[in-house]
Amino acid sequence: MAMRQTPLTCSGHTRPVVDLAFSGITPYGYFLISACKDGKPMMRQGDTGDWIGTFLGHKGAVWGATLNNEATKAATAAADFTAKVWDAVTGDEVLTLAHKHIVKSVNFTQDSKCLLTGGNDKMLRIFDLSKPEADPQEIAGHTSAIKKALWCNNDQQILSAAEDKTIRLWDKNTTEAVKTLSFETSVSSMEYIPDGEILVITYGRTIAFYKAHSLDLIKTVDAPASIHSASLHPEKDYFVAGGDDFKLYKYDYSTKEEIESYKGHFGPVHCVRFSPDGELYASGSEDGTLRLWQTAVGKTYGLWKCVLPEELTSENSEALYCPQPEIKA
Amino acid sequence: MSLKPPVGVQRLPRGPDPNSRGFDRSSPRFIALCPTSIPSSASTGPGIEEEQRVRSELRERFLRTLLMMTDKPVQFNMYEKVQVPARFGASDIDILNFQVSDLETPLGVQKEALLWCQDVISCSFEL
Repeated sequence: MAMRQTPLTCSGHTRPVVDLAFSGITPYGYFLISACKDGKPMMRQGDTGDWIGTFLGHKGAVWGATLNNEATKAATAAADFTAKVWDAVTGDEVLTLAHKHIVKSVNFTQDSKCLLTGGNDKMLRIFDLSKPEADPQEIAGHTSAIKKALWCNNDQQILSAAEDKTIRLWDKNTTEAVKTLSFETSVSSMEYIPDGEILVITYGRTIAFYKAHSLDLIKTVDAPASIHSASLHPEKDYFVAGGDDFKLYKYDYSTKEEIESYKGHFGPVHCVRFSPDGELYASGSEDGTLRLWQTAVGKTYGLWKCVLPEELTSENSEALYCPQPEIKA
Repeated sequence: MSLKPPVGVQRLPRGPDPNSRGFDRSSPRFIALCPTSIPSSASTGPGIEEEQRVRSELRERFLRTLLMMTDKPVQFNMYEKVQVPARFGASDIDILNFQVSDLETPLGVQKEALLWCQDVISCSFEL
């Protein structure tokens, strides 16, 4: 029986949520970190959305946040001109990395030993976390503020997207730009899928997929509204996107057809990401909330419980929360 | 106007605790990943007990110091070569903020202020 999607709303932030990231799958499940303009990034249990803790210390809007694969470290990028590294188990601040302007993006290498940062001073920086006092390696080239910077190709290369309407692929060792993609408009988001080496980019109303090594275009899909972020499912059967019209769109990756769209957020969607197991995707919005959405609507997973009609009247049924159509947290 | 029934949910996601920054020390993950941070020479037995005794003593001493500081003039040494005297009021539970009064700054005396503990390198006061 077809069921209607019930998004789970995670409240707590008091300003727009601008970035979010999942960790890898750990023995304790997987985790989610959200960056918010209220300056207080939060960590949550990935499959339930339960709040775990808040990283306190930034003195300005947090524009970027990430977790390492094991969810033992977190990194954040903020308007207070710093990137910070945190112990994601204790919530303690471990390192503050000073920059010369607003920092927008942070990304760990697979081994968590280096941190890549990018921001409004147009410079990419690589920090060796075992030598935090040492000067970072700097990569110059972008002519406008960097919005997103990611490690790729086994941490040997770097992908960066900037307001100069380019995406550049850099070699970490030579610090040279290997390839540049130019667009008519600024890229709004970028996601790198290591398994399959795919790059997901959004600009205007377009979601585009590129091969990460060569930056060859695979395909593009146009959405009904301006898109701020998109994410490809780990199995590469779906992708989801969200933007200006507050909705989440779900597409079939092979056929490029829109499968369904979901209302729920009360403001533009700024970021969306699939969980590492692909069972759900999380969205962050101007409305200050994160929402979790099921990939397979109706499946029992996390806090969602598949209820067969008979169970609703059974004496043995556990207490169930059956949401009314419009849920407000 | 959908006729499809909505997916049932066991409960809503838990929100933040207004009184703490979280990272529950009793969670299985915390206990597994955060053994005592200073390794003691013995992994079990008397070494651990001695370490715990010393830790408790240090913690108690720290808390008593905060109590003794209450309402006293304290000199705070902070980053960027900032040295400011103020009257110490109280600390919050996570030792993230100090509430102080009559904070003397180059711009004048701030009647009430909160100092970020992470900005403070050291502080000193007369007993």
